[in-house]
Amino acid sequence: MTTAGKEVRLQSVSRSFGETLALQPTDLQIAPGEFLTLLGPSGSGKTTVLNLVAGYLAPSSGRIIVDGADVTDRPPRLRNMGMVFQNYALFPHLSVLENVAFGLRVRRRPKAEVQRSVSHALALVQLEGMGNRMVATLSGGQQQRVALARALVIQPDVLLMDEPLGALDRQLRKQVQLEIRRLHLAHRRSTLYVTHDQEEALVMSDRIAILRSGKIEQIGTADELYRTPANAFVASFLGESNLLRGRIASLSRGCAELEVPGLPARLAGTAASDLAVGRPAVALIRPEDVRVNAEVGLPASIVERVYLGELVALRLHLGEGVELWCRRLSRSEPLASERVQVSWSPDHVRILHP
Amino acid sequence: MTIAPLWARIGLHTTANAALAFLLLPILSIVPASFNAASFIELPPRVYSLRWYELFLQDPQWVSSLATSLQVATACMLLSLALGIPLAIAMDKLTGPGRIAVNMLILAPLVVPVIVIACAMYYAGLHTGLVGTFWGMVLGHTVLSLPFVVINVGISLRAIDPSWSRAAEGLGAGPFYSFRRVILPNIAPGVLGGAVFAFIYSFDEVVVALFLAGIGLKTLPVRMWEVIRLEFTPVVAVAATFMIVLAALLFVLARLVEMRRNPGS
Repeated sequence: MTTAGKEVRLQSVSRSFGETLALQPTDLQIAPGEFLTLLGPSGSGKTTVLNLVAGYLAPSSGRIIVDGADVTDRPPRLRNMGMVFQNYALFPHLSVLENVAFGLRVRRRPKAEVQRSVSHALALVQLEGMGNRMVATLSGGQQQRVALARALVIQPDVLLMDEPLGALDRQLRKQVQLEIRRLHLAHRRSTLYVTHDQEEALVMSDRIAILRSGKIEQIGTADELYRTPANAFVASFLGESNLLRGRIASLSRGCAELEVPGLPARLAGTAASDLAVGRPAVALIRPEDVRVNAEVGLPASIVERVYLGELVALRLHLGEGVELWCRRLSRSEPLASERVQVSWSPDHVRILHP
Repeated sequence: MTIAPLWARIGLHTTANAALAFLLLPILSIVPASFNAASFIELPPRVYSLRWYELFLQDPQWVSSLATSLQVATACMLLSLALGIPLAIAMDKLTGPGRIAVNMLILAPLVVPVIVIACAMYYAGLHTGLVGTFWGMVLGHTVLSLPFVVINVGISLRAIDPSWSRAAEGLGAGPFYSFRRVILPNIAPGVLGGAVFAFIYSFDEVVVALFLAGIGLKTLPVRMWEVIRLEFTPVVAVAATFMIVLAALLFVLARLVEMRRNPGS
């Protein structure tokens, strides 16, 4: 299998449905061989982006460039994209083999080549020997693999996946995530993946774009988004987060102090852009960065404990209307009392636009 | 699930069997009548014979009317499919008041009394020279059998997932390829059902056929009607038996094909 990943560029692409703007003018680039995930709640425009790239939707404005060629006006059948649908969209009247072979038969490839490519694709998704089964007799996980093989066998310029794991149970989903990731690392095919599941995005992606209301809020590696979210939405969408609301009290050289009602001291942290003194803002502290039982710190009381296996989550009450979640290893030293001292490093606090 | 008491089960079986007998007896009485040796219809026949079959097959008028009926029904079926399948697909994509309006228009032949349609067709046929012609008869029957194709194909189309076409398109298929390789195989039972209905409707239709028939163009039911007005001989029962057997065969065929496709049903 060749591994030529193609580059995809969206240049100020927008799409409206009647009065509603499903996608604001957006620039987006999928690097050759990159696994890019569009992550967002339903209605955020992620599937719209996917359908625009696939050609099932025409953009209201902007151009779509694949490998230097403008494909904006090309119908889907001339785009050479491999699409994996949410419900798989397998052809029920065809066997596994004929489903996978469909794209090659359309292209009138010689029989021997079809045979070879199909068995190779079935081997890739670990479905050897299943070629003669009808798709209705397969399990959900197997159907998902057939859909993937059918999309891969045509050697697409870009692999497009629309929530392909949504119908699988949790255990299977984790396993397939890793398989898709390994398959991607082995072949480096440019991939655009749509999901609302942050775990899928974190496990598989090279980069993640977080969408809200038809707009990309932030794009970057999983670590960048987790450590340095651009705003409170990104912070709350990816991972667990404590968000404390307040007003900016001071601002200098990338650092800010936040006045939080109910907290005795100002909260210092790294400042995101577009903040101004006196304006509302939020402080982000990840639960794993909250330390309890420190020598010095703010007094707090534990109001709830949630056992999560390797971790224990504690809900801490710090003052009127101020609560923080803390996560610590469940095997760490037990806490002697419900009254604790809470602290964190200012390096782990980010002051964000609300 | 609870089992109904004995009296209720006996009652249910009796009623159901009576209803089945009510539906079947007229059909089953005409078949023995065709094997009657006497020259009038009697039930049950005292002496069985094939003499009326022989008579039927040796009479060029009977044979030619059977051939006419088969030809008209075949042409009507093909024309109904050619018009009905695209119509059903277009209907499937329509929404709102437009869909209701088109739906009513297509179903109209089932609601408007056939005698009214027949009169209208006769009048229109006189002005266009179609009365007494093969294609006049085919067109007339197609109007009446079209709804069966549209309804049957429409029901099949409801089970079609729109993402199948999109998937086919994404894999490089043009609209015609996608229709032939993805849509058509999945609506085949509906197409077959519609075809059988259209064929049998035309084969069995008598009102419009009476109006549109000509001296050289008599379908089997028209010929039966004419003969029966003069003399009530078992040869009419022979014609009726042919019709019953053909209709039954077609239904069994359609059912077999459907069962082969969905072994579960």
